[in-house]
Amino acid sequence: MKYSAIIIAFITLNTFAQTKYLTKTGVVNFEASVPSFEEVKANNKSVTAIINTENGEFASLALIKGFRFKNALMEEHFNENYAESDKYPKAIFKGQINDFTLKKITNKDTSFNIDGNLTFHGKTIEIKANKVSINIKNEILTISGNFLVKASDFDIDIPKIVKSKISENIKVIFNFSMLKK
Amino acid sequence: MKKKITFIVIVLIFAFLGYNYLYQEHRDIYNEYAQFSVLPNDILKEFKTNSSIAEGKYLNKTIEITGTVTEITETDITINNAVFCNLSTNLETKKIKINTKIIIKGRCIGYDDLLEIVKLDQCNLKK
Repeated sequence: MKYSAIIIAFITLNTFAQTKYLTKTGVVNFEASVPSFEEVKANNKSVTAIINTENGEFASLALIKGFRFKNALMEEHFNENYAESDKYPKAIFKGQINDFTLKKITNKDTSFNIDGNLTFHGKTIEIKANKVSINIKNEILTISGNFLVKASDFDIDIPKIVKSKISENIKVIFNFSMLKK
Repeated sequence: MKKKITFIVIVLIFAFLGYNYLYQEHRDIYNEYAQFSVLPNDILKEFKTNSSIAEGKYLNKTIEITGTVTEITETDITINNAVFCNLSTNLETKKIKINTKIIIKGRCIGYDDLLEIVKLDQCNLKK
């Protein structure tokens, strides 16, 4: 009796389940380099992203400790002094791709606008009408794009002595290749 | 003359120490001893119950996980649908099959509450 109830629950859940595409291995890079100084650049290859293809709802989660720098000391400073990754271990984006329908998407990039909120270092900022490119190839839905943020948006203080070596505008580049789930 | 030589030697020592500090090596997770040895569902439960306590305990630590492979891609393995392991080298996945038992060592980078999964990076297979 108990089991049949569970089975029925599962069947009904499945019929109402929405179509989702997701990845656990999305790529997010950020760069705050200043020309002629050592590059300030990190790469995270295990970012989660989910899209609901019925309504264009999109969510992404990056674990801050997953950002790797070429320079080990820079990585340590980023985690300890700037991002404070022990206190704030993740960055989350939740948003909406405007006028999204699966029908519009082909194997060539189509442009969409995304609105949403990005939370990082305990602060949330709004991202409005940011351009993203979406295509679908061999059942893989790829969303890519970039945006600019400022360290001060997230209450991150850059000390005076290194200020000239770190750009105030930080470019974030993302690429999510998602599979249907 | 002697003073000059000592001065140069001191400068060289400082330059050497400074360089080593600025360009130090990354952590070598592969050769680190695991501080914790856990089952995938146990660690997931700890993060689900209280993520900040679990984060304090496991974040940035080298841990060893014993479990069954539930998903494989070129660059990573998922164990018991509970722990996601990003591998330090791509080649290893070829030797592994779904539903086999493995022991894996890596660095815990945190808890993903969108998918309810614990994430590890720089993983290497032990068995």
